[in-house]
Amino acid sequence: MDRLAKIFRPGPRHAIPVMLFLLLGFVAPLVTVVMYSFVPSRTFDLWQDWNLDNYAEIFNSSSYIPFVWSLGLAAATVLILAVICYPVAFGITRVFGKYATFITLLFTLPLFVSENVRIYGWILFFIKNGVLLGSLKSMFGYEPESILFTTGLTLMGMVYVYLPFMLFPMTLGVSMVPQQTRDAAFDLGATRWQVFKEVDLPLAMPGIVIGFLLTFVLAVGAIAEAKVLGGQRIIPITQDIETAFTYAQNWPLGAALSVLLMLVVGTLVLVVLRRFDLDTILGKK
Amino acid sequence: MSKFNQTRRDFLQNSALMAGGLAAGSMAGVLPAAADRSKELNILCWEGYNSAQVLDPFRTSTGATVRAESLTNDPTMINRLRAGETNIWDLINVNNPWARKVMNPEGLIKPIDKARFEPYFDKMLPAFKAPYKWAMDDAGDQLLGMAQRFGPYSFVVNTDKISRATAEDQGWDLWNDAANDKKYGVQASDDWNVFDLCCIAGFDPFREHTDEEVAKYTDAAKRVFKGARMVGDLATMNQALVSGEIDFYLTGGTYSCSPARADGNLNIRAITPLRGPFEGGKGGISWIEITSVVNNPDVSPLAEDFLEYVQSPEMSHTVAFAEGTFNPVTQMGNSACFDLFSKEELDVIQWDSLEEEMARSAEYDIVPDYDKLLDIMTAVKRETSGG
Repeated sequence: MDRLAKIFRPGPRHAIPVMLFLLLGFVAPLVTVVMYSFVPSRTFDLWQDWNLDNYAEIFNSSSYIPFVWSLGLAAATVLILAVICYPVAFGITRVFGKYATFITLLFTLPLFVSENVRIYGWILFFIKNGVLLGSLKSMFGYEPESILFTTGLTLMGMVYVYLPFMLFPMTLGVSMVPQQTRDAAFDLGATRWQVFKEVDLPLAMPGIVIGFLLTFVLAVGAIAEAKVLGGQRIIPITQDIETAFTYAQNWPLGAALSVLLMLVVGTLVLVVLRRFDLDTILGKK
Repeated sequence: MSKFNQTRRDFLQNSALMAGGLAAGSMAGVLPAAADRSKELNILCWEGYNSAQVLDPFRTSTGATVRAESLTNDPTMINRLRAGETNIWDLINVNNPWARKVMNPEGLIKPIDKARFEPYFDKMLPAFKAPYKWAMDDAGDQLLGMAQRFGPYSFVVNTDKISRATAEDQGWDLWNDAANDKKYGVQASDDWNVFDLCCIAGFDPFREHTDEEVAKYTDAAKRVFKGARMVGDLATMNQALVSGEIDFYLTGGTYSCSPARADGNLNIRAITPLRGPFEGGKGGISWIEITSVVNNPDVSPLAEDFLEYVQSPEMSHTVAFAEGTFNPVTQMGNSACFDLFSKEELDVIQWDSLEEEMARSAEYDIVPDYDKLLDIMTAVKRETSGG
């Protein structure tokens, strides 16, 4: 009785609609994907003899290559963005003053344009006889090789697309560092490097870690950059999943690849969260 | 000023009632009323049939809610039906072999009224006269759909870089010549890429293959993807051709290069090889779309009306030049339809060589060992990744 009364307390009772919504909209599709991953290859009926063949097929194939590309490019994107975004976040918080809002707006504006449109815009910019190479040719008679459809440009596209997702949490993190603490450190004789290392970085860490995680998780799922800017010079795991679900008519294989991707990313995120306990760095403990 | 005098409890109770009412209302829509689909039509199609130019006049004349979803590959559309969406869609528009060889045997589509539709085939171009093979079931008794858009689909070149005569003469060997590395792109269309790799390897894709042929196919796949400047969609391919990034691409044809030609780039041209690995020495591949009525237990009565609606000369012309890509239509055999095409439009769809190119092309068919060949190609793409 007590238990029933506990469940039907106003809190849990009112949470029922949200819980149902989450179960149906979030948990159910994920469970379906997991279930499909055990279904025999190239079949569509969920209710049949389940096995691990799809996973065996993945481990016996070259599927590790797209996994490595996706994880590697996502890691590279995070590192490059960390280097680019920290000075910008620092500037927005402490240097740009009244222009900070305007500069923030400049970084926000691209988000209002579809990612695909922006990426195709880069194609027009970089393509032979396009904005960049066409201008160089007509103005200076200089005609370098096009850098379109290369792995490097795929990485550039990812850095460009995911920049706001690193910048804004990082700006939040940097803004959490009290100026007085920095001033005190300088007064006590700390060098700029020491202040950065001992004060700025540790205190801004919540924002930095959130930026890292957000960017990494999004970048691992990137597909358009490799497909359009990279001309498929590299195949990310998301493309392998897409092929399995479409041309290959092999939903079980696609589901198994998706489950593995979720496991790999989930594990990495958990490891990072264990290393940087968010509650501790957010000062809640 | 009005005063909000509900208590929180009243507000919650009223909200719950309203929510319950809304939910019940929507359920009512799902249950008995859902049976009435006289003003609703759902179409699964390639782009063009989902355009406002095609759908709006039908919406206006019938007062119906017409929903059309466009996809750019056949297997995905077939999968949607296999996965249980036969109770959602009323019409499906895919390439020729699927209706006769896959969807009809699997019970995914149903025959259409032969008496009502067969006369339309008599007004089509000569190759499509009734009984048109791809629109009929195996026994040749039942009509499974209507033919409209079609075209040759082998590869596309920039004729400023490779003349039409050279491209037609060299055919698929363009991809066997190492000197052409990085001069070409591959349009990402996995099923068609499989067909083309078979042609490059020197055999007909539309039959079972020996181990030796599969080995040749694997080598061809490695060579083609290693030598490709890029793999991308048709917009990227056309742009790369126009800008000079590449000189030619596979897979392609009137369908894929028509947007570039419509933009004035008549040097971008679909090519059908003079000779090749198909029966009778045919060198290219062609496609013909067949639009069928889905075996929906509660199919819209408007499904067949729509099929008839797009047969009119005016609407056939609209379908040919709907947004996206531009294609010949079977109804061009009827002068009332043909006369609606301007000279520029005929140039865009390469009318000058259409008949001879179709004659040199084998018709798209099911590849019996497609799964194996696709898996090989996917693995090759992965393994040449980054190279």
